[in-house]
Amino acid sequence: MSLDPVEYAIVSQSLLAAAREMGVKLIRSAYSTILREARDGSAAILDINGHTVAQAELIPMQLGTIGQIFAPCAALHPPETLEEDDFLIINDPYSGGQHLQDVFLFHPIFFKGRILGFAASVAHHLDLGGGSAGLNPNAGDVYSEGLIIPPMKLNAKRDWHGGGFERLLRANVRVPQQTMGDFDAQIAANHVGALRVQELAERYGVETLLETMGALQDYSEARMRAAIRNIPDGIYLGEDAVDDDGISDTPLAVRATVTVKGDSLAVDFTGTAAQVRTNLNAPFASTVSATVSCVKAALSDPDIPFNHGAMRPITVTAPKGSILNPHHPAAVRARMEACSRAWDATMKALSKVAPERVVATGYDTTTAFCLSHLGPGGWSVSLEIFGGGLGAASDKDGCDAVDNPLSNCANTPTEALDQDFSFFRLLEYSLRPDSCGIGRHRGGVGFTRRYEILEDGVKLALYSDRFTRPADGLFGGHAAATGYCEIIRGIEHVPVKSKFAGELCKGDIVAISLGGGGGYGDPASRPVEEIEEDVKDGIISRACADRWHAPVKE
Amino acid sequence: MRVGIEVGGTFTDLVAVDGGKLRVFKVPSTPRAPDVGAFNALSAAGIDPAQVTDLVHGSTVATNAILERRGSRIAFVTTRGFRDILFLQRHDRRSIYDLRYAKPEPPVKRRDCFEVLERIDENGNIVVPLDEEAVRNELLPALTNGDYEAVAICLLSSYASSAHEARLRDLIVQAMPGLRVACSHEVAGEFREFERGTTTSLSAYVQPVIDGYLDRFEKKLAEAGFRGDFSIMQSNGGRIPAIAMRRNSIAALFSGPAAGVVGAIRQAQRSNCRDLITFDMGGTSTDVSLVQDGEAALAPETEVDGLPVRTPVLDIVSVGAGGGSLVWVDDGGMLRVGPKSAGAQPGPACYGRGGTEPTITDAHVVRGTIRAEGFLGGTMKLDKGAAHRAFEGIAARFGMSVPEAAAAAIRLAVANIVRAIQIVSTERGRDPRAYALVPFGGAGPLLAAEIAAELSIREVLVPPNPGVISALGLLSADYVKVYTTTRRMRLGEDVPDKLREEHDRFQRLAAEEYRSHNLAGTLDCSLEADMRYVGQAFEIAVPIDLRSIDRLSVAELTASFNEVHRRVYMHGGEPGRTIEVVGLRFSARQRLEEMPVAQEREVAEQSVREVAIRGSGGEDLNARIVPASRLKVGAQIEGPALIEGYSSTTWVPPGWIAERDASNNTWLRKKS
Repeated sequence: MSLDPVEYAIVSQSLLAAAREMGVKLIRSAYSTILREARDGSAAILDINGHTVAQAELIPMQLGTIGQIFAPCAALHPPETLEEDDFLIINDPYSGGQHLQDVFLFHPIFFKGRILGFAASVAHHLDLGGGSAGLNPNAGDVYSEGLIIPPMKLNAKRDWHGGGFERLLRANVRVPQQTMGDFDAQIAANHVGALRVQELAERYGVETLLETMGALQDYSEARMRAAIRNIPDGIYLGEDAVDDDGISDTPLAVRATVTVKGDSLAVDFTGTAAQVRTNLNAPFASTVSATVSCVKAALSDPDIPFNHGAMRPITVTAPKGSILNPHHPAAVRARMEACSRAWDATMKALSKVAPERVVATGYDTTTAFCLSHLGPGGWSVSLEIFGGGLGAASDKDGCDAVDNPLSNCANTPTEALDQDFSFFRLLEYSLRPDSCGIGRHRGGVGFTRRYEILEDGVKLALYSDRFTRPADGLFGGHAAATGYCEIIRGIEHVPVKSKFAGELCKGDIVAISLGGGGGYGDPASRPVEEIEEDVKDGIISRACADRWHAPVKE
Repeated sequence: MRVGIEVGGTFTDLVAVDGGKLRVFKVPSTPRAPDVGAFNALSAAGIDPAQVTDLVHGSTVATNAILERRGSRIAFVTTRGFRDILFLQRHDRRSIYDLRYAKPEPPVKRRDCFEVLERIDENGNIVVPLDEEAVRNELLPALTNGDYEAVAICLLSSYASSAHEARLRDLIVQAMPGLRVACSHEVAGEFREFERGTTTSLSAYVQPVIDGYLDRFEKKLAEAGFRGDFSIMQSNGGRIPAIAMRRNSIAALFSGPAAGVVGAIRQAQRSNCRDLITFDMGGTSTDVSLVQDGEAALAPETEVDGLPVRTPVLDIVSVGAGGGSLVWVDDGGMLRVGPKSAGAQPGPACYGRGGTEPTITDAHVVRGTIRAEGFLGGTMKLDKGAAHRAFEGIAARFGMSVPEAAAAAIRLAVANIVRAIQIVSTERGRDPRAYALVPFGGAGPLLAAEIAAELSIREVLVPPNPGVISALGLLSADYVKVYTTTRRMRLGEDVPDKLREEHDRFQRLAAEEYRSHNLAGTLDCSLEADMRYVGQAFEIAVPIDLRSIDRLSVAELTASFNEVHRRVYMHGGEPGRTIEVVGLRFSARQRLEEMPVAQEREVAEQSVREVAIRGSGGEDLNARIVPASRLKVGAQIEGPALIEGYSSTTWVPPGWIAERDASNNTWLRKKS
């Protein structure tokens, strides 16, 4: 390397810091709960080829593929045709995107007349039109899920700031204050990233900067390859399933075949269920993100920067027409369930070869829970994302009540819900005792939330999973509890399926309960004192503790 | 005589002012009983407590009680349905790829958390009345049987109405007189129940520890004939009478870094320097803060051991880059510095205590900017050969000489601190070039000029005795009390009046509290509104000019908010955006009289000589060694030079000039 090792280290760390700053500013100045609380967004710096160099670590699901979705934009609008104030935009899942709500913006970084690379950001937008507010669980195709933006070039002066495209967008979204505000936050984040890269070019010179952009990708690649080289060559299988497609009761199998050869690793999803008519399909870019995230989390150090280089040693394939690589125009909104099973199946395959590094299956489900109400003042939409318990490890219990490993959404404080929404009140938010899988180490427990509905005509829309198929245990550990949802109307308890949309009455109580993570290792080998501590804390009941003391084979 | 005693992890520092003369002492800390170290410092300085009129104390007692989980046995009481708020936390993970993620551990066990039936809404209206019968029949017996030292109460929406919390406290105190009770509306009266509840539980957890410590301290002082004022440093940069600390011990967390910033501000002010960036480089970390017009900004929240603490603290950013930070090569072949540190044991290789891995201190020894014979005023000899050997592996790996490898490590340490300074400056819309850099701590002045050069900062101000600036900060700290409240309102015509009402209420509260502590004198007050665009979740602090609060208008509030938002986020103020006020922060400060001039403490070796050292690129240089106490006011020292003091050494690189001014500050400026 001709690059001075000190300048390389300084510029690398500065690029990572710039991406981090972009992410912080994106989230902190955002308007919608989904972006500001749930942090469903990401930001990155790309090289001139659109390869990711550095990213803000917000949620794993969007990391890694920002670069892929750039390619169709660049094919239409090569960098040399771009001018100052131009930027690229796209959300089409069938041109490399994830789902319509994720809109990607790419701003070229100009320096003394040449383009050094791109500042990129993506945000999950609360509403982009489509069949219903916030979430349309009944969408039969991608058209009913919202506005499709194909790869295109916009000019800030001409098309934004009151320009034609901005007005078209504003006219098609239900909560323009929040949606357009989130776009402003994305644009500002890109400007910050561009400014920091320009400062680095000024300080260290263009050549050093560009060489470092390449070297940082090689660096991540080298560390990822070293991690893969640590595990034996071979072919390993893992399988899990989504409960159902929301219409029938048939499970949707997800099968992973992991092939390790030297310092590269391939994951193939042949044998996975065919695509479905509902919104549970995962666009291929999402499948890739989920799978690569699992390999990275299981095998490598957390501090390897996740950029294009980190993905080079890993190949992901899924049959066209499967739930992990659907044909246009299948609906894709609830892609996270199939993606989470791709994570679980890959983890199970890796458990055969790296038992100390992997964890047991967790609840690993994204539950999107949307309460909305059309009042005299317009739409009021509350969209929350829930996780569950994590799977146990060889040396540790699973974490209780936390978001899905592929995501990292925070909850909204009860006191903030009280301030923002007058049509419901949260009555309970509690850990769910006994919901963990037992084992030498127990899985994390899930949690329960109960809402009192204060107005007639409130709509509930929900997608979730693991209501019928629990998270499995590993190496003798047991499976955990499944999740459930019910509406309590007077003395009646009405069970709600994991994919649901319906209307509620004033006085209804909605209870949603998320399951736990699987246990790891033989329950009989857990010391009695550890079990008794959980009993004292009420995390497990006496009856549950007795299953540990005298375990029965499942 | 006025005395400041700062207890740190390794050393206890004492600064005494008597008849315009300032004296400085350092003794080893006694972590098991920090008061012993404090009284040792008094004896070492030959100070008779009966002669002390004003004693200010800063310690890590509260922080350590939490970090080492040596707090008291507490119970937590909250609204029915929400017993688990301390465990559920915010449902997110700090490390997104960590499969073995564990949440930060609350200071209370789930078995000690209780619920009461009640509910208040966001406007303070009672939705469900407090079930007093259940409190008497169930909660009180459980608390009695639990053998608790303190109880933390956090009921939902208590920021909007304290009625239920106050009533519940009365019921508990009636049944169990003497039991300490912390109410969330008093500890942190702002919305967001997890943060408020955690802060309240931590307050209850450390309160008995602080009480015990202060009891012991006051008793010893009384026995020694002390009759003066005894006050304690807070994390907001002000002091508070010890008696008031008994009511809100959580304010004592991280008082050490805050004291350092205050000391730097006060010392810089003497030289009419009011816009500065401070950086305090110690053994394991560096703390950075930005000071605008003589005031360090307050942050609304900090964290300890991963847990949020909702209390106003000086806005200080900390990075894992200190003298003991390890220099290493990661498995991808990148040269790295920190965040791991050699700590006190084994310490840097040059300490000769068995350390073999290279640290930043070793890099300075190789370079010659720390002289093996001149360390700590010559009281501690260093092993130069060991420092050299520690860098051989890295040098070989990159095909460099050992001095080049050491220089590379120092450049990386500089870059780490530069990034921390960028967080408090450029990331917040402030241009660092408009500020003077003020280094302190043992290792700060060695790197200051190189950090300034990276940031194009033209001036560096090195205060006298930079190694004991925190203790000086204690002595120069004003009395400060900060009040906060959640008052959410859309920005409309009624808002200026409401702000004026709140301002009056705060003023009355502050006046009452200062009177109750017998602190007469005028109060300097400031008011900040936490504001955001409707829909946003994060507020930004907008200062309100109290001189013209009578004429405050919606237009002025809008303009100030838009300006701050644009400065930080590079957007804002688009037409049609509604603005809201979320909360208010009021600070009442009683200023102290001027401090006496600080002088450098004398060290044994007093001659001016030349030594061979290496420059920032590893090149050979001849540097002058100048004892800090011999530097005359107005005399200019051209770099390369090392100004050696008792607690710290200042490096003047080639092309820089050092000059001491009449306030005993040493300015480093780049030759034009």
